[in-house]
Amino acid sequence: MPMPIGKKAHNLRELLQALRELDESVLYYHIFQSRLAITQPAEEYPNEFARWAANALQDSKLAEKLSSFDPFDYDNLAQVRQAVVDILEEYLWDIPYVPWARSGFEFHFCEASTVVMRSQIRAHTLLEFCESLRKVGLDSMYYHFFEARWRLGVRKADDFSFWIETNFGLPELVAAIRGIDIYFYSLREIRDTLLGLIHQHLGDLCDRTQ
Amino acid sequence: MIGLNDYAPVVGQEVIEQLQRLADRLGPRRFIHINSTRTGGGVAEILDRAVPLLEQLGLDVKWEVIHGDQEFFEITKAMHNALQGYKVHLSPDMLDHYREINRENARKFTWESDFVLVHDPQPAYLINFLRPQAKHWIWRCHIDASRPERLVWKFLQEIVSQYEASVFSMSQFAQNLPHPQYLIRPSIDPLSEKNRDLSTAEVRKVLDRLGIERDKPIILQVSRFDSFKDPVGVIQAFRMVRRHTPCKLVLAGGEAIDDPEGPRIFAEVMEAAKDEPDIQILLLPPDAHHEVNALQRASDIIVQKSTREGFGLTVTEAMWKGKPVIGGAVGGIVLQLRDYNTGFLVHSPEGCAFRIRYLLHRPEMARRMGKMAREFVRHHFLITRKIRDYLTLMILRENPTERIMEL
Repeated sequence: MPMPIGKKAHNLRELLQALRELDESVLYYHIFQSRLAITQPAEEYPNEFARWAANALQDSKLAEKLSSFDPFDYDNLAQVRQAVVDILEEYLWDIPYVPWARSGFEFHFCEASTVVMRSQIRAHTLLEFCESLRKVGLDSMYYHFFEARWRLGVRKADDFSFWIETNFGLPELVAAIRGIDIYFYSLREIRDTLLGLIHQHLGDLCDRTQ
Repeated sequence: MIGLNDYAPVVGQEVIEQLQRLADRLGPRRFIHINSTRTGGGVAEILDRAVPLLEQLGLDVKWEVIHGDQEFFEITKAMHNALQGYKVHLSPDMLDHYREINRENARKFTWESDFVLVHDPQPAYLINFLRPQAKHWIWRCHIDASRPERLVWKFLQEIVSQYEASVFSMSQFAQNLPHPQYLIRPSIDPLSEKNRDLSTAEVRKVLDRLGIERDKPIILQVSRFDSFKDPVGVIQAFRMVRRHTPCKLVLAGGEAIDDPEGPRIFAEVMEAAKDEPDIQILLLPPDAHHEVNALQRASDIIVQKSTREGFGLTVTEAMWKGKPVIGGAVGGIVLQLRDYNTGFLVHSPEGCAFRIRYLLHRPEMARRMGKMAREFVRHHFLITRKIRDYLTLMILRENPTERIMEL
């Protein structure tokens, strides 16, 4: 559940300062959890800092830099924070002015409280898994495909590929799932992509149990 | 009576089961909503639908309405306008009257509750008299408070700070407050009389009764006659469109008892629409949900050209009916409507006119946007999502130190 903290940044320097000081939960929200909030139907930027740079500062160059940064390259949020701070510091160092947000487009900082519920939907076979993927909500997709990457502590691994690897092996399918570039798909598109990959790799074998 | 399971075909069985499990976890809590009108306006409409569903989930829910005189509602309307950025002056006598009406209402409330959700500024001061009667007090702000007038906000801030949490519709509306703030997006009920599917015959019957011919494309704005909804700006835009493309404009609105400005704005609208046979202005009663539903379904393009808007329910209603919406780029509308995908955001009567013309000449694009709009609403703005948020909010407030809870 998103929780605005009542603070905002009017310009890039204020954003930088806030990122140095605010809790990691704020960083986590704007880089990961905001996926669960409303986003553009076609994702153009992978995190809210890049989106703000493009839409509010109207600074495409900065938006590009913030887009190409991958939080999953780092082991913990302190490193992620430092990476974002480095990008902003370097950018501000090189320009003779401070980019300001258009009026009404200030950056509003949020964090979130999370309630995780066990779904009643269970899968034992790959066929059941495919059927379940169609039924579960997008919040489940977020939890198992995004949040899992931090929770499991295994870089690039998500709950789905982890479960398939552990129970069925299938290295090619596992590699294909881990190869999905999550930044360019909405949660709904990721579901469709997963289903497509499973059918492409397994065809009629979807119902195997071991 | 509509049951929770009736929503399963719309949102999926999993969503309904999730609500039940959250409610089971919470238990039979007593939950009181307080606002200032039972009919008219978005808040009353939301509560009218949400309260029975919460009851079905096993909560003991009450909806209380405060009463006040004309002067009280003029003061609270001024507060509302000030929160939306208008410069207004509230004298000490006016503030005393605001407090006094809250005191009078408080005397009538003898209940005890686990949770109280107080909607908007009108009943906010009740906490000063009733605090011991409930464990958790939460303030719900439905207003676009992104740039409030300073002195009025200072006055309200002192009151709101006494609550243990507050809820806003967008992060832009959140304020510097000494307690946790949450975001809950308002929603519409797809099974209500205002949003349920209607047959072509039902739509035609309503149009016949209201005297609306379908000889030209219909542009519609449904809203209270309120200056922030900019009905006069819509008429200006319509006149610009009419120079190029034949169409007609329907402005349909009602009045809320807590909005004393309605008659004045209505008169201004009538004046602006004078001598224009293709503009029809309908003053509808607050319960004309069936009529609004039919009007929205019969229209080609729906406009909500607000200049301030906490959350425009009519935007979401229109989108649910598969219509492209042209909305003012303000407040909650920016969140509700995806520019260039489900409609257009505009900043002026000129922009509004231009986009109306565009969509009138691109009916295929209008259909595509409408289709996308309906799916967007299904996933973000239906009442089941809001019920889930209420339940989650209560669970979180009962466990204030937990940031991640596994149920």
